[in-house]
Amino acid sequence: MFHNSSHGKYWIFQNEDEAEHKRYKANQKFRNKILESGKPGVSESKFLERHEEDVLFRHYERRMLDFCNAFKPAMPKSVVGTAIMYFRRFYINNSIMEYHPRIIMLTCAYLSCKVEEFNVSSTQFVGNLLQETPEGQERFLEQILEYELLLIQQLNFHLVVHNPYRPMEGLLIDLKTRYPALENPESLRKNADDFLTQAAMTDAGLLFPPSQIALTAILNSASRAGLGMESYLTECLGLKDDKETLSKMYESMRRMKTLLKKYELPKAEEVNVYKKKLERIHAEFASSSNKRKRGYEEDGHVAKEARLAEEEWTDEDLL
Amino acid sequence: MGKIGAWSSEQDRCENCVEMLFVRGSGNCVQCDTPLRKSNFRVQLFEDPTVDKEVEIRKKVLKIYNKRDFDFPSLREYNDYLEQVEDMVYNLTNNIDVENTKLRMEQYQRENRDLIQRNKVKLTREQEELEELLLLEQQGNEQRRLELLQEEKRQLQVKRKNKQALLDELEQSKLPATLLLAQHKVRAAQLETQIEQQKQAVKPTNLFSTGIHMRQTVSLQPAPKIEEVLYHYMPLQVETYGPPVPELDQLGRLGYLNHVRAALPQDTAGGYTSALACHRAVQDAFSGMFFMKR
Repeated sequence: MFHNSSHGKYWIFQNEDEAEHKRYKANQKFRNKILESGKPGVSESKFLERHEEDVLFRHYERRMLDFCNAFKPAMPKSVVGTAIMYFRRFYINNSIMEYHPRIIMLTCAYLSCKVEEFNVSSTQFVGNLLQETPEGQERFLEQILEYELLLIQQLNFHLVVHNPYRPMEGLLIDLKTRYPALENPESLRKNADDFLTQAAMTDAGLLFPPSQIALTAILNSASRAGLGMESYLTECLGLKDDKETLSKMYESMRRMKTLLKKYELPKAEEVNVYKKKLERIHAEFASSSNKRKRGYEEDGHVAKEARLAEEEWTDEDLL
Repeated sequence: MGKIGAWSSEQDRCENCVEMLFVRGSGNCVQCDTPLRKSNFRVQLFEDPTVDKEVEIRKKVLKIYNKRDFDFPSLREYNDYLEQVEDMVYNLTNNIDVENTKLRMEQYQRENRDLIQRNKVKLTREQEELEELLLLEQQGNEQRRLELLQEEKRQLQVKRKNKQALLDELEQSKLPATLLLAQHKVRAAQLETQIEQQKQAVKPTNLFSTGIHMRQTVSLQPAPKIEEVLYHYMPLQVETYGPPVPELDQLGRLGYLNHVRAALPQDTAGGYTSALACHRAVQDAFSGMFFMKR
């Protein structure tokens, strides 16, 4: 069941601060590593601040979503959801200054296709990088394969992600069966779907079980249509006598809605500025920290042999 | 390509080269210049000379370290002992710490001289018993083969005699040839059936195939009765941290299946029912709904 899945046991945090704290620590870890390595020309100002990292993270997350939505053959929602979750989990414990999100996002999508049993060959996968020549696609594929093991390791080998899409379907079925007070539950589907897509771009997946996210989506969609559904919770879900759980549920839903409201679209000017900073960081520092050997490195990162330098590509190559 | 050298170096030498090397009586290894003796050369059994070297070393080590599993009070200690032996073999094969290992071996040999001797005797006795059994089996096979041959010879002779008798009768008897031929055919047929019957006949023996004597009474005691608590089935209770999920077989009756896509004939042929998808969706919807991370 969910509570003893790896997702439920290891990748649900108690609150937003805990997640933010981990990201802060990842950022610090990279800074200290570079400062201690004694490289010349290192100054604090060259590093990205947490909020700058955030903007870039959201930007690349959107790029990944666009890539998945434009994917041929059409990618099922669960594959997209899993890819976004991998991306998010990876950067909980690692800084984007250390591993460039451009490659990690493709690796996440690639791994997600495998895990969710959406069969695309690797050539088909990189064939979706429409701006690239076949040789360019080949180079991207090599990089993806290099980073795949690292991604799996940083996910702590917990590859099964519980997405809220099936729970939402289940809730709709249950509503149609047991809750005649709601005349046309299908009308809620579109808005609930949008809610889920937006929720995937927040930390909701790291804080709440997918069934709660789905329930919030449905309730939110109903309230937007002016329909009340409180009796569903009390009657059908049996919470009439369990006031404590009921209030906790409402609390979680409120927190989730706040998360969605707080989401800001990354602004283009900011993105460009921070991107330049990121490229500079990778050009200067990444070459030393990305020294790859066959097998395991001393600090425990798994990687394969390096083939090409990363500086050759820019973001525009991707989409 | 055949013989390989002694412990200290592993090389392939063909027969001629070996002869050449030892024409003077003793020679030195080409690579490491250690004096070699001709008697130390063996025929190579494996393709990789390192494997052969290891096999030789292992034989020597195991001659000394010949304890058996019942010599140890616990499985753990036996495994530790085996691990020690493997370490020694490895060290000697890869020329690691050779002096130390050899010293340890000699020390062990001195300390456990009696035990080694006893185990050697035990081993030889076991091997002898095995060899005896093998010999008996072989003898049995030989006998059976000989008997079979004799039987066949006899049958051939009988057939020949029969033919000869026919020819004689054709010569001497006053009866018409057709009658004689008919008689002969009858006789031949009788012989055939006789031979067939003999083949089917069970050879008299006084041993079952398991080795128990025919007349021996084996006491079959009833198996001892073990009194235990009878197993009582309790259905599995799983805490889902959510509302209860209806059972798979109840979904139709409760009306859930009206809201899922019906199964096509192709689906049902493969064992799929719409209840399966419905149950999974509802289960996922309710699983962990009341779950709060502490």
